[in-house]
Amino acid sequence: MSDPLLGASGAQMAVCAVQIVGGVVVSPLLSGTIQHFKARLQGRCGPTPLQPYRELRRLWSRSAVTVEGATVVHRAAPSVVAAGLLTAVLLVPCADTGVDLPVGHDVLALMGLLALARFALAAASWDTSNGFALIGACRDLMVSVYAEGTLILATAVAVLASGTTDLRGMIAATAGGEAWSGPLLIFGGVAFALVLVAEIGRQPVDNPDTHLELTMIHEGPLLEYSGRDLAYLHWAAHARHWVMFVLAAQIFLPHPSGTWAQLATLPLALLLLCVVLAFVESLMSKMRVMSSPRFLLIGSLAALLGVLSETVGIA
Amino acid sequence: MILGVLAAGSLLIAFGGGLSAARRTFAVGLVVQAVGAAVLAVVGFWALAEGSAHGSDFTGSPTPHLGLDPLSAIFLGTLGLVAAPALVFSLRYLRNDGPGRATGALTAAFQLAMVLLLCARDPFTFLLAWESMTLLPATVILVARRADPTARRTVFTYLAITHLGGAGTWVAILLLADAGGLDDPTVIESGSGLQVAIALAALIGTGTKAGLMPLHAWLPRAHPIAPAPVSALMSGVMIKIALYGLIRIVVDRLGILPVWFGILVLAVGALSAVGGVLHALFQHELKRLLALHSIENVGIIVLGLGACLILRSRGAQTPAALALGAALLHTVNHAVFKSLLFLGAGAFEKVTGTLELDRMGGLLRRLPWTAGAFLVGSMAIAGLPPLNGFASEWLTLQSLLRVVLRGDTADGAAGALGLAALAATAALALLCFAKVVGLVLLGPSRTPEKTGPAGHPAGPQGSGEDFATRASTVFLALTCAVLGLMPGLLLAPAAAVAPWPSERPEGLGLDLPGAGNLPAPGLGLVLFALTALLLLLRGRRTAAPAPTWACGQVNEPALLWTGSGFTGPARVALRAVLRPQREVTVKSTGGVLQEVTCHLHVPQLIDERVYRPVARRSGTVAACARRVQSGSLSVYVMYLIGAVVVLLGAARAGWLG
Repeated sequence: MSDPLLGASGAQMAVCAVQIVGGVVVSPLLSGTIQHFKARLQGRCGPTPLQPYRELRRLWSRSAVTVEGATVVHRAAPSVVAAGLLTAVLLVPCADTGVDLPVGHDVLALMGLLALARFALAAASWDTSNGFALIGACRDLMVSVYAEGTLILATAVAVLASGTTDLRGMIAATAGGEAWSGPLLIFGGVAFALVLVAEIGRQPVDNPDTHLELTMIHEGPLLEYSGRDLAYLHWAAHARHWVMFVLAAQIFLPHPSGTWAQLATLPLALLLLCVVLAFVESLMSKMRVMSSPRFLLIGSLAALLGVLSETVGIA
Repeated sequence: MILGVLAAGSLLIAFGGGLSAARRTFAVGLVVQAVGAAVLAVVGFWALAEGSAHGSDFTGSPTPHLGLDPLSAIFLGTLGLVAAPALVFSLRYLRNDGPGRATGALTAAFQLAMVLLLCARDPFTFLLAWESMTLLPATVILVARRADPTARRTVFTYLAITHLGGAGTWVAILLLADAGGLDDPTVIESGSGLQVAIALAALIGTGTKAGLMPLHAWLPRAHPIAPAPVSALMSGVMIKIALYGLIRIVVDRLGILPVWFGILVLAVGALSAVGGVLHALFQHELKRLLALHSIENVGIIVLGLGACLILRSRGAQTPAALALGAALLHTVNHAVFKSLLFLGAGAFEKVTGTLELDRMGGLLRRLPWTAGAFLVGSMAIAGLPPLNGFASEWLTLQSLLRVVLRGDTADGAAGALGLAALAATAALALLCFAKVVGLVLLGPSRTPEKTGPAGHPAGPQGSGEDFATRASTVFLALTCAVLGLMPGLLLAPAAAVAPWPSERPEGLGLDLPGAGNLPAPGLGLVLFALTALLLLLRGRRTAAPAPTWACGQVNEPALLWTGSGFTGPARVALRAVLRPQREVTVKSTGGVLQEVTCHLHVPQLIDERVYRPVARRSGTVAACARRVQSGSLSVYVMYLIGAVVVLLGAARAGWLG
């Protein structure tokens, strides 16, 4: 097998570089920016957008507290979660071309990787038998039932537009103004927006700022972790923001055609998403856990309408 | 050549079955059977790779004909692949006593019945093998659980439902033979009433045997009470061979079916997938839970089959062949991980003396190899990369996406709903197996270590893991990993099984040109490498160990989570569909609370809303009919004379023509 890096064009190399550097290094900046804007909107001074990096550095220098009676499952889970998200970062291209990495660029594989991370954390929660961790894990898995159903329908919308599950093909097919002439991608965008909120654990589905057992989902399984393990899990949460934001920006938001133009508009789109999420988090309070299925079902219905809007015409 | 080896393998199984009926040669007999099964696995996958038919072709003639083609071969290979480790496992699992030896011998007969069904090329051999395949496991259950009245009742339910529903198979096969469809599939006109009638009869007949909803009521009852290796064969292989009947009739022998039949199959598949996993989620007994998951996975296979039928009606030949490949791939994958899970459940039952999920726990420490293999199997059935369940679910999702792309309003909507159903099923299976893994393998042990039920010591502690158990479960776990990393090996010949021309996919991963690409080997290796790298970077630096945080209390057994706690949010979120029943009784004396008991029950809605009223009404009708049957001879003679008089009168009046 020849080296995939040989024979790659400049644009491909640039996409690959942005993808890896962005996913690994820039991703904590996204949550930092959201927190920063949110504080400003609420009239507080708030931390700088660089705060997540400081926390990662602090955690990396601490030793981890082991839990009595925990097995290898608890120890390995943070590495599995972080490896899953790192693979996801390699998998999601940030423009319509990219180096053929051995992990491929398939959107269904991305769903599998996110599920793997979820399973690892749930198993780790059982391993410590910490009640708070299990509350979070079982809520997360319940929400994911609806989130996965909605995400696959949003994917079906994108496949209707592009004919492929390859993310590069999807980004290319939804670029420019033509793809947005029909209602298809608007319905898909609504569905994806709701999934995005659930997947990255933001209000109104989850509140990332609290550890209160009545409200938490994603923070629960993290409770027994410390040190580098916790750093991995925090980084994985940041990487999840990156992956979902890139998908939103390059498929479900209008974007220009042409690789370089897409790379140039990506930061703007990411900033826009951060600002919008800061607004949403300031305006809406967290809903009850049991209301989130209804919230996500709205997304499923929107995506289903999108699919129908396209298939009715063929006959 | 291939047929010769096949015959040799079958003879070995028969010989081993005979040996295992005797006290001295019991273990030898099981080993000989396992060797025979391994030979069958080799023959099956060899014939599949070769891709040509051997022996006789299908014929409608009443004389026995036998043969093997790639479609039979993939099921034959699966049978061998599952039976060999199950028999090795039986070495330690079955006791060398009366019921144990009878089970060993009957297992051989059960395997031979399934081989005969796969090789049958004429209607009568096919139906003979079909019925033996139903009756033999019933015999095994009766032999293994002699004096158990509930087991007898269950066997009665099993036989009643499979025979009532299974009549559909007879109708389908005999109609097909009568119309000449067995000799030449092109005889039956596409879209004709006969074609549709055969297809519907086949769906009902084989669907009952495969446990498709709403004809599944026997499955969660019968599978759990069989001995673990037989459960593995029943859940892993027998219900798949029922699907072989469906694929053989509907895909191979009937030509192109109308689109609505494909949509019907898709709907049945979606119902089974979601319904199966929903009921499994709230089960407290491990083997029953696994049996309900078989319904789910049969549903996933049938979703792929439905996609195949729709795509074929729409003229998309290559995607249709790939959808059939997806169904066959999931068939093999499910056989492997489900038998692994059943064998694991058997091993756990021996050690803990129970199958109640809430009373196991901590088995990863007690049985590291078996429990580790069980963990791999759980991840495979939950559809996680890089294991085999993920590969076949990926391909099924792709096939459903093709249905959405190719279809018009009805099948496009059906495809989209099928997609949503499959995605939700995968997420629910993840929830369910997170629960199983947590309750069975992790956390503290929840069994009182001293005694099992009825005062028996709960199995030999520590020595519960012997070589036979380890070897069989670890072998199946490795198979899960290999099939997950290199699904392309199996997909290429499986997609070529389709009786219409199509392009053959290539590569070790799943590469569908223009539609998507899952480079399974690369994805798996990168995932492994990154996990190892991150574990290495993390280092071993740790602070002093601390107990689990429980707000400053000791995390004592009463505070441990149960399975129903973990599935609580899902139960509440889905209460409109599930109708859970909850009874809370509060006992208080003199205003002081003494005791609160809560009883939670998630009913099997199809059982309660469909089967129970039907059973009650047929009971009423039977009671009426019984009044006529007095049992005295003179009354029957009166009936006869009455009937003759009525007929004579009718003939006289000219009503009989």
